[in-house]
Amino acid sequence: MEQQRTIQKRVRYLEEKAKEVRVEIVKMIHEAQSGHPGGSLSAADIMTALYFDILRIDPNKPEWPDRDRFVLSKGHACPVWYACLALKGFFPIETLKTLRKFESKLQGHPIAGKAEGIDASVGSLGIGFSQAVGMAIEAKMTRSKYMVYTVLGDGETNEGIVWEAAASAHKYHLDNLVAVLDRNNLQNDGIAEQIMPMEPLDEKFKAFNWHVIQINGHNMADVVDALMKARDYSGKPVIIIANTVKGKGVSYMENVRGWHGKPPNDEQLAIALEDLKGSLK
Amino acid sequence: MNLEKASKPTRRGYSDRMLEYGSIDKDFTVFDADIGYSTYACLFGEAFPERYFNMGIAEMNMVSAAAGMANSGRTVVVSSYGVFLTMRAVEPVRSFICYPNLNVKLLSSHGGLTAAIDGVTHQATEDIAIMTTFPNMKVLCPSDPKAAEKLFDVSMQTPGPFFTRLMRDPLFDVYGDDEEFVLGGSKTLRKGSDITIAAYGDIVFQALEAAESLAAQGIDAEVLDLYSLKPYDKEAVLASVKKTGAMLVAENHQAKNGMGYEIAHLLLKHCPVPFDNAGLEDTFAESGDYPSIIHKYGLSAEKLAGRAAAVVQMKKEN
Repeated sequence: MEQQRTIQKRVRYLEEKAKEVRVEIVKMIHEAQSGHPGGSLSAADIMTALYFDILRIDPNKPEWPDRDRFVLSKGHACPVWYACLALKGFFPIETLKTLRKFESKLQGHPIAGKAEGIDASVGSLGIGFSQAVGMAIEAKMTRSKYMVYTVLGDGETNEGIVWEAAASAHKYHLDNLVAVLDRNNLQNDGIAEQIMPMEPLDEKFKAFNWHVIQINGHNMADVVDALMKARDYSGKPVIIIANTVKGKGVSYMENVRGWHGKPPNDEQLAIALEDLKGSLK
Repeated sequence: MNLEKASKPTRRGYSDRMLEYGSIDKDFTVFDADIGYSTYACLFGEAFPERYFNMGIAEMNMVSAAAGMANSGRTVVVSSYGVFLTMRAVEPVRSFICYPNLNVKLLSSHGGLTAAIDGVTHQATEDIAIMTTFPNMKVLCPSDPKAAEKLFDVSMQTPGPFFTRLMRDPLFDVYGDDEEFVLGGSKTLRKGSDITIAAYGDIVFQALEAAESLAAQGIDAEVLDLYSLKPYDKEAVLASVKKTGAMLVAENHQAKNGMGYEIAHLLLKHCPVPFDNAGLEDTFAESGDYPSIIHKYGLSAEKLAGRAAAVVQMKKEN
């Protein structure tokens, strides 16, 4: 009973934090007048759970050798990563206003060494997943205890390298690797299953000898529960297929193709902030 | 210069040294894509199985995973053929190894037409153009197994990404045991006063042979081995050309965007002289035995001698 109350409290805290993350996402993309809101918002609950509950990290020691590693393989959704890092204290919230601007540490796609907390450069789909595999092999080889987490997009699974990486994760028994697939079912040009049918994704990953967990990626209790189970799972790499809504939280962006890589204008920003305020209970 | 037939190809020289180095440096790892028995990276793998990762026939994933490991600061050697490393895996090499300046060392076998018998799919004839273009990347090409051993050490002891072009087949021994090789260095293998022939890799031997036949025609050629292609020895090139007043760059590579283009650019700025560039002339080669192939595509000693004589003639007519 006591334990259940503690979990409920954690989930409520994370739900509130996810709202802050979403507000920062739309504000920074509006300020930059460039960036990818749809896939940032769909991954916001997953990323919030990782950064404010799961990852063993210390914003004061971004290079701490035993920290858990995180790679945003769907690198275009970096506004959600930058928002989490800033809110966690890796760099000031003010920095978010510099997204994509001249001489900013917040590059259009994240670059290791530019901003605190970025463990790997990403931006070309599929390659972050492979890098996460390499990091997990490194951890196994050095018998380190840290975990490697990565978040992929569903369109990203079109890339053949994703399946090369999946095979190699099985070969090296990378049960220290947890992938989350942000299954929002929209990619740049349209509905993911129409652009390139990838289902059954769960069966595909199972066939590659991964352990598969399927959840609603916007139910914070489920997200946290799945991430904890994935972390503790031993013997196989784990992928959490998180069913999500692209643009989640902003009424006019939800499930609309055009919001993959387009910034809101002033009027749209006001509506977005109103939507998100409404959700801030 | 009496050159001995080499006992082994440069890919073997590099990998033999990598095996020895495995006991000297206990931290570096090696990634392979199922051609370890061809690049001889398998020698390291047999001695140090816990530091050897065969990622299967999936070069893009291999290079990207190597980048992931190298993100920790670790040095990783990545073994494959030139065509695959520089084309199938080119994007992670550029964006995720060169851009973050990681300690990844590319062991690139089957450079140029030395994979003659394997045909065009296995002949890396654009690799130098591609790799020298990336910021942070350093590019080496040993002309014999001894140089390959020494240049392996250079790549391991210098931070950042390296691409080392190696040959499939044994050619000739050019160097003794006590030669030293440095990043950005070159070797003047033959002194001459009429023309400079700058070459690298297997073509160094053809250039030396060409110089012998030119001598018989009364043309005194200087031969440079540009074993370090990026950075390359601009001082040595300029000093030689200032002396000879003519230049032939000979390379087992597309003439376009190879070292000939690079050196022509340098000479135009600092020392314009009669110049020519022997390489593939906007064409693919084909399967066949190495001597026939390099002769047909203009890189045999005989063809180089003719080309060099023509440049010397241009100089006289100027």
